[in-house]
Amino acid sequence: MTGQLSRTVIEPNNPRLNVSRNANLPHSPGIRAGEYIFLSGIGPVDPVTGGRNLGPIADQIRQTLQNMEHMLTFAGSGLDRIVKINIVLADIQDYDEMNRVWREFFSVDPPARTTCTLQLSNGNGVEMECIALSL
Amino acid sequence: MALQRDVIAPKASAVDMSRGLNLPLSPAIRAGEFIFVSGMVAIDPATGKRMCGTVAAETRQIPAAMTQVLESAGSSLAKTVKVNVLIYSMLEYNNMNEVYREFFPADPPARTVCGAKLSGGSKVEIECVALA
Repeated sequence: MTGQLSRTVIEPNNPRLNVSRNANLPHSPGIRAGEYIFLSGIGPVDPVTGGRNLGPIADQIRQTLQNMEHMLTFAGSGLDRIVKINIVLADIQDYDEMNRVWREFFSVDPPARTTCTLQLSNGNGVEMECIALSL
Repeated sequence: MALQRDVIAPKASAVDMSRGLNLPLSPAIRAGEFIFVSGMVAIDPATGKRMCGTVAAETRQIPAAMTQVLESAGSSLAKTVKVNVLIYSMLEYNNMNEVYREFFPADPPARTVCGAKLSGGSKVEIECVALA
Protein backbone atom coordinates (compact mmCIF):
# COMPACT_ATOMS: atom_id res chain seq x y z
CA MET A 1 0.00 0.00 0.00
CA THR A 2 2.89 2.33 0.57
CA GLY A 3 4.71 2.11 -2.75
CA GLN A 4 7.95 0.59 -1.52
CA LEU A 5 8.64 -1.60 -4.53
CA SER A 6 11.42 -0.60 -6.88
CA ARG A 7 10.82 -0.04 -10.59
CA THR A 8 13.76 -0.50 -12.94
CA VAL A 9 14.17 -0.74 -16.70
CA ILE A 10 15.39 -4.05 -18.15
CA GLU A 11 17.19 -4.19 -21.48
CA PRO A 12 18.54 -7.08 -23.55
CA ASN A 13 22.26 -7.75 -23.40
CA ASN A 14 22.36 -7.90 -27.21
CA PRO A 15 21.84 -4.31 -28.44
CA ARG A 16 20.42 -5.58 -31.75
CA LEU A 17 17.43 -6.95 -29.84
CA ASN A 18 16.76 -3.56 -28.28
CA VAL A 19 13.96 -2.64 -30.66
CA SER A 20 12.64 0.32 -28.68
CA ARG A 21 16.06 1.94 -28.62
CA ASN A 22 16.93 1.12 -32.23
CA ALA A 23 13.60 2.30 -33.61
CA ASN A 24 13.14 5.11 -31.05
CA LEU A 25 9.88 3.71 -29.71
CA PRO A 26 8.39 5.01 -26.44
CA HIS A 27 8.57 1.82 -24.41
CA SER A 28 11.12 -0.06 -22.34
CA PRO A 29 11.99 -3.66 -23.28
CA GLY A 30 11.02 -4.68 -19.78
CA ILE A 31 10.35 -3.35 -16.31
CA ARG A 32 11.28 -5.05 -13.06
CA ALA A 33 8.75 -4.19 -10.39
CA GLY A 34 9.49 -5.75 -7.05
CA GLU A 35 9.68 -9.50 -7.59
CA TYR A 36 8.08 -9.40 -11.02
CA ILE A 37 9.35 -8.72 -14.52
CA PHE A 38 6.99 -7.33 -17.15
CA LEU A 39 8.25 -7.72 -20.72
CA SER A 40 7.03 -5.73 -23.68
CA GLY A 41 5.71 -7.55 -26.71
CA ILE A 42 8.62 -9.29 -28.43
CA GLY A 43 8.75 -10.23 -32.08
CA PRO A 44 11.03 -12.42 -34.21
CA VAL A 45 13.98 -10.05 -34.34
CA ASP A 46 17.16 -11.54 -35.75
CA PRO A 47 19.86 -11.29 -33.05
CA VAL A 48 22.64 -10.99 -35.66
CA THR A 49 21.21 -8.41 -38.06
CA GLY A 50 18.63 -6.70 -35.84
CA GLY A 51 16.17 -7.08 -38.73
CA ARG A 52 12.96 -9.06 -38.74
CA ASN A 53 13.04 -12.81 -39.23
CA LEU A 54 9.87 -13.15 -41.27
CA GLY A 55 10.44 -16.71 -42.44
CA PRO A 56 8.21 -19.73 -41.75
CA ILE A 57 6.02 -19.28 -38.67
CA ALA A 58 7.83 -22.06 -36.80
CA ASP A 59 11.09 -20.14 -37.19
CA GLN A 60 9.45 -16.90 -36.09
CA ILE A 61 8.01 -18.53 -32.97
CA ARG A 62 11.31 -20.18 -32.11
CA GLN A 63 13.15 -16.89 -32.62
CA THR A 64 10.65 -14.97 -30.49
CA LEU A 65 10.93 -17.45 -27.62
CA GLN A 66 14.73 -17.41 -27.87
CA ASN A 67 14.67 -13.60 -27.69
CA MET A 68 12.38 -13.76 -24.67
CA GLU A 69 14.72 -16.26 -23.04
CA HIS A 70 17.65 -13.91 -23.73
CA MET A 71 15.84 -11.00 -22.09
CA LEU A 72 14.79 -13.00 -19.04
CA THR A 73 18.09 -14.80 -18.51
CA PHE A 74 20.06 -11.57 -18.65
CA ALA A 75 17.67 -10.15 -16.05
CA GLY A 76 18.32 -13.10 -13.74
CA SER A 77 15.05 -14.82 -14.56
CA GLY A 78 14.26 -17.46 -17.19
CA LEU A 79 11.57 -19.09 -19.28
CA ASP A 80 10.83 -21.44 -16.37
CA ARG A 81 10.03 -18.40 -14.20
CA ILE A 82 7.27 -17.11 -16.47
CA VAL A 83 3.89 -17.04 -14.75
CA LYS A 84 1.76 -15.67 -17.58
CA ILE A 85 2.42 -15.28 -21.26
CA ASN A 86 0.27 -13.75 -23.97
CA ILE A 87 0.79 -14.90 -27.53
CA VAL A 88 -0.57 -12.90 -30.44
CA LEU A 89 -0.62 -14.55 -33.84
CA ALA A 90 -1.26 -12.68 -37.07
CA ASP A 91 -3.10 -15.77 -38.36
CA ILE A 92 -4.95 -18.17 -36.06
CA GLN A 93 -4.27 -20.93 -38.64
CA ASP A 94 -0.78 -21.02 -37.12
CA TYR A 95 -2.14 -22.12 -33.74
CA ASP A 96 -1.19 -25.80 -34.05
CA GLU A 97 2.26 -25.00 -35.38
CA MET A 98 2.78 -22.53 -32.53
CA ASN A 99 1.88 -25.22 -29.99
CA ARG A 100 4.28 -27.66 -31.62
CA VAL A 101 7.23 -25.26 -31.30
CA TRP A 102 6.02 -24.12 -27.88
CA ARG A 103 6.43 -27.64 -26.46
CA GLU A 104 10.14 -27.55 -27.34
CA PHE A 105 10.54 -24.74 -24.80
CA PHE A 106 8.05 -25.68 -22.06
CA SER A 107 8.17 -29.41 -21.44
CA VAL A 108 7.15 -29.26 -17.76
CA ASP A 109 4.90 -26.93 -15.75
CA PRO A 110 4.26 -24.44 -18.57
CA PRO A 111 3.06 -20.95 -17.66
CA ALA A 112 -0.52 -19.72 -17.84
CA ARG A 113 -1.14 -18.61 -21.41
CA THR A 114 -3.61 -16.82 -23.64
CA THR A 115 -3.39 -16.93 -27.43
CA CYS A 116 -5.37 -14.83 -29.86
CA THR A 117 -5.16 -13.22 -33.28
CA LEU A 118 -4.70 -9.47 -33.66
CA GLN A 119 -3.07 -7.07 -36.09
CA LEU A 120 0.68 -6.93 -35.50
CA SER A 121 3.33 -4.37 -36.40
CA ASN A 122 6.12 -4.76 -38.95
CA GLY A 123 4.62 -7.80 -40.65
CA ASN A 124 5.33 -10.00 -37.64
CA GLY A 125 3.60 -13.36 -37.71
CA VAL A 126 3.85 -13.62 -33.95
CA GLU A 127 4.46 -11.47 -30.90
CA MET A 128 4.71 -12.52 -27.25
CA GLU A 129 4.73 -10.72 -23.92
CA CYS A 130 5.04 -12.13 -20.44
CA ILE A 131 5.08 -11.60 -16.71
CA ALA A 132 7.81 -13.55 -14.95
CA LEU A 133 9.20 -13.91 -11.47
CA SER A 134 12.30 -11.84 -11.05
CA LEU A 135 14.75 -14.37 -9.63
CA MET B 1 -0.93 -13.50 4.39
CA ALA B 2 -3.75 -12.57 2.04
CA LEU B 3 -3.16 -9.43 0.02
CA GLN B 4 -5.79 -6.75 0.09
CA ARG B 5 -8.04 -6.12 -2.94
CA ASP B 6 -9.56 -2.66 -3.25
CA VAL B 7 -11.65 -1.02 -5.94
CA ILE B 8 -10.14 2.24 -7.16
CA ALA B 9 -12.62 4.93 -8.17
CA PRO B 10 -11.29 8.20 -9.64
CA LYS B 11 -12.27 11.33 -7.76
CA ALA B 12 -13.47 12.96 -10.99
CA SER B 13 -16.37 10.68 -11.81
CA ALA B 14 -16.41 11.83 -15.47
CA VAL B 15 -13.36 9.67 -16.16
CA ASP B 16 -15.02 6.68 -14.49
CA MET B 17 -16.03 4.67 -17.57
CA SER B 18 -17.91 2.16 -15.51
CA ARG B 19 -20.27 4.94 -14.44
CA GLY B 20 -20.37 7.12 -17.56
CA LEU B 21 -20.88 4.17 -19.89
CA ASN B 22 -22.70 2.06 -17.28
CA LEU B 23 -20.32 -0.88 -17.60
CA PRO B 24 -19.95 -3.80 -15.19
CA LEU B 25 -16.30 -3.23 -14.36
CA SER B 26 -14.22 -1.36 -11.84
CA PRO B 27 -11.97 1.44 -13.15
CA ALA B 28 -9.07 -0.18 -11.37
CA ILE B 29 -8.24 -2.70 -8.66
CA ARG B 30 -5.42 -2.40 -6.20
CA ALA B 31 -3.99 -5.82 -5.31
CA GLY B 32 -1.16 -5.64 -2.84
CA GLU B 33 1.50 -3.37 -4.28
CA PHE B 34 0.03 -3.36 -7.79
CA ILE B 35 -2.78 -1.44 -9.45
CA PHE B 36 -4.55 -3.03 -12.42
CA VAL B 37 -6.34 -0.42 -14.53
CA SER B 38 -9.18 -1.45 -16.85
CA GLY B 39 -8.98 -0.71 -20.56
CA MET B 40 -9.78 2.97 -21.00
CA VAL B 41 -11.17 4.62 -24.11
CA ALA B 42 -11.25 8.36 -24.69
CA ILE B 43 -13.95 10.00 -22.56
CA ASP B 44 -14.97 13.65 -22.78
CA PRO B 45 -14.15 14.89 -19.25
CA ALA B 46 -16.99 17.45 -19.43
CA THR B 47 -19.76 15.00 -20.26
CA GLY B 48 -18.42 11.58 -19.28
CA LYS B 49 -19.44 10.33 -22.71
CA ARG B 50 -17.27 8.57 -25.23
CA MET B 51 -15.09 10.91 -27.24
CA CYS B 52 -14.52 9.73 -30.80
CA GLY B 53 -11.77 11.57 -32.65
CA THR B 54 -8.54 10.92 -34.47
CA VAL B 55 -6.11 8.38 -33.06
CA ALA B 56 -3.93 11.29 -31.93
CA ALA B 57 -6.83 13.06 -30.19
CA GLU B 58 -8.05 9.90 -28.46
CA THR B 59 -4.52 8.92 -27.44
CA ARG B 60 -3.99 12.34 -25.88
CA GLN B 61 -7.13 12.07 -23.79
CA ILE B 62 -6.58 8.59 -22.37
CA PRO B 63 -3.28 9.00 -20.43
CA ALA B 64 -4.69 12.22 -18.98
CA ALA B 65 -7.69 10.34 -17.62
CA MET B 66 -5.51 7.40 -16.62
CA THR B 67 -3.44 9.83 -14.56
CA GLN B 68 -6.55 10.72 -12.58
CA VAL B 69 -7.36 7.07 -11.94
CA LEU B 70 -3.79 6.33 -10.85
CA GLU B 71 -3.48 9.44 -8.70
CA SER B 72 -6.69 8.63 -6.87
CA ALA B 73 -4.86 5.48 -5.80
CA GLY B 74 -1.65 7.30 -4.90
CA SER B 75 0.13 6.18 -8.05
CA SER B 76 1.05 7.95 -11.31
CA LEU B 77 1.97 7.37 -14.95
CA ALA B 78 5.63 7.32 -13.90
CA LYS B 79 4.88 4.24 -11.78
CA THR B 80 3.28 2.24 -14.58
CA VAL B 81 5.16 -0.96 -15.31
CA LYS B 82 3.20 -2.42 -18.23
CA VAL B 83 0.87 -0.85 -20.75
CA ASN B 84 -1.25 -2.52 -23.41
CA VAL B 85 -2.45 -0.36 -26.27
CA LEU B 86 -5.10 -1.49 -28.71
CA ILE B 87 -5.67 0.58 -31.83
CA TYR B 88 -8.24 -0.02 -34.55
CA SER B 89 -5.60 -0.16 -37.27
CA MET B 90 -1.86 -0.71 -37.08
CA LEU B 91 -1.54 1.82 -39.89
CA GLU B 92 -2.04 4.38 -37.10
CA TYR B 93 0.86 3.01 -35.04
CA ASN B 94 3.07 6.07 -35.53
CA ASN B 95 0.23 8.53 -34.93
CA MET B 96 -0.41 6.86 -31.57
CA ASN B 97 3.30 6.74 -30.67
CA GLU B 98 3.92 10.43 -31.30
CA VAL B 99 1.30 11.44 -28.74
CA TYR B 100 1.95 8.54 -26.37
CA ARG B 101 5.64 9.42 -25.94
CA GLU B 102 4.80 12.89 -24.59
CA PHE B 103 3.33 11.23 -21.49
CA PHE B 104 6.35 9.02 -20.79
CA PRO B 105 9.45 11.20 -21.15
CA ALA B 106 11.82 8.88 -19.25
CA ASP B 107 12.04 5.15 -18.48
CA PRO B 108 8.69 4.39 -20.15
CA PRO B 109 6.78 1.27 -19.08
CA ALA B 110 6.97 -2.03 -20.94
CA ARG B 111 4.30 -2.04 -23.62
CA THR B 112 2.54 -4.13 -26.23
CA VAL B 113 0.59 -2.60 -29.10
CA CYS B 114 -1.84 -4.53 -31.28
CA GLY B 115 -4.55 -3.77 -33.80
CA ALA B 116 -8.01 -4.91 -32.71
CA LYS B 117 -11.72 -4.28 -33.16
CA LEU B 118 -12.79 -1.97 -30.34
CA SER B 119 -16.17 -1.23 -28.81
CA GLY B 120 -18.39 1.75 -29.53
CA GLY B 121 -16.38 3.27 -32.37
CA SER B 122 -13.33 4.03 -30.26
CA LYS B 123 -10.03 3.95 -32.12
CA VAL B 124 -7.75 3.56 -29.09
CA GLU B 125 -7.99 1.65 -25.83
CA ILE B 126 -5.27 1.55 -23.18
CA GLU B 127 -4.90 -0.52 -20.00
CA CYS B 128 -2.02 -0.67 -17.55
CA VAL B 129 -0.48 -2.23 -14.49
CA ALA B 130 1.21 0.21 -12.11
CA LEU B 131 2.92 0.15 -8.77
CA ALA B 132 0.78 1.48 -5.95
